[in-house]
Amino acid sequence: MSGTVIGEGLSIEGELTSEEEVIIHGNVRGKVTSSDAVSIAAGGIVQADIAGHSVSIAGQVTGDVSAPDRVDIQAGGRLVGDVKASRFTIADGASFKGAVDMEV
Amino acid sequence: MAQSSVIGSDTVVRGNVQGQGSLEILGRVEGDVDVTGDVVIGEAGAVLGSIDGAKISVHGAVQGDLRGKEAVLVERGGKVVGDLSAPRIGIAEGGLVRGHVRTDGEPAAAPVRRAAASPAVRSASASTGGGVGAFPPKPVAKVEPRPSPVATVSASVGATVSPGFADDDVPESESPTPRPKVEEREKPVGRRPPPPVLPSLGKGAKAKKKKDRDS
Amino acid sequence: MARLGSDTSVLGPSTRIVGRVTGKGVLRVEGSLQGDLDVSGDAEIALGGSVEGNVSARSLDVSGSLLGDAVIEGPVTIRSGATVRGELRGSEVSIEPGSRVSVKLETELELSLGPAPRRR
Repeated sequence: MSGTVIGEGLSIEGELTSEEEVIIHGNVRGKVTSSDAVSIAAGGIVQADIAGHSVSIAGQVTGDVSAPDRVDIQAGGRLVGDVKASRFTIADGASFKGAVDMEV
Repeated sequence: MAQSSVIGSDTVVRGNVQGQGSLEILGRVEGDVDVTGDVVIGEAGAVLGSIDGAKISVHGAVQGDLRGKEAVLVERGGKVVGDLSAPRIGIAEGGLVRGHVRTDGEPAAAPVRRAAASPAVRSASASTGGGVGAFPPKPVAKVEPRPSPVATVSASVGATVSPGFADDDVPESESPTPRPKVEEREKPVGRRPPPPVLPSLGKGAKAKKKKDRDS
Repeated sequence: MARLGSDTSVLGPSTRIVGRVTGKGVLRVEGSLQGDLDVSGDAEIALGGSVEGNVSARSLDVSGSLLGDAVIEGPVTIRSGATVRGELRGSEVSIEPGSRVSVKLETELELSLGPAPRRR
């Protein structure tokens, strides 16, 4: 089972680059880039631009988010930053502030 | 196949041990060990000095560097204060080491061999009257000549040193097999110091000196 | 809310971090970290993983590569296949033959091998 999991108590200050799925329960400050799915779990706090194949946000993100596939903000999730993706959903109970470019 | 030797558990060697074959140290060595074969330090064994060998296994205590041509293994219960150097190094759980540990072949320092076979003898002309003969090259196995209750043994690899020697003053052991370089080379005692260059002059000797100039 | 394994982190084989990693929990590095690592739990550098930086953790197990110093509360285990260079301090350091090391072990160890008493 490969994949990257940043547990709840962990903090990363710097840049994370990956080619596999990345799940963040902890803190990241810097930059997150993956060619696979990125998800910020509830409790995860990210101050970084995120680029993933798809990005799912259930925690808190401050930064721009881009994905060739889709970006979803889950209930309880919060995003302050711009979104660039071909598909974008904001669930009921999610928070969002930023610009959206759905590559129309 | 080269012989194997044992330094028994009640034995103390004060001096360097060098030679062919393998060596098991169950007692105590105060000096450097340099053999071509394997070295095993038993649980109660202790070495105060460096050890050079093929495969060195430590179950006891060593204060000194270990250089193995094949491997250095510190087993459970082994304790080493010193550097380890060998292509294969192991420190088992329960083994303790303090020092540098390198598998990449650069030992901390080249072994300082005490066998100074080359001129350690001062040239006569430089002497100021002291005994030139007092500077023999240091023998490889520095065996203390005076009788001592502790078995200081000429550690010639090829002989077995056993507990029975503990209270004797042991003469150089006779090994049946080719003796490795552990002879005591007490060098030229027969050489006389040269006459002093300047004879001592008494008072008013200057004038006298002019007359009879003698060296 | 207890999460299964929420205190266990894994940096996957294709993941690279340039920066500091700190915090609570256990961390297994299968990818690469260029920067210091300071965790309260156990740290493992798996085969193929590499850390270039200093490590502080409760225990350290290296099958991959470590270039840097480590200050570890508990045991340090260097497995065969590992490559380690730096100063290591731990309650105990064990090294498997087959590993490549150039390390300085700062183990708390004193030997009292004073001169043998002469028996009279």
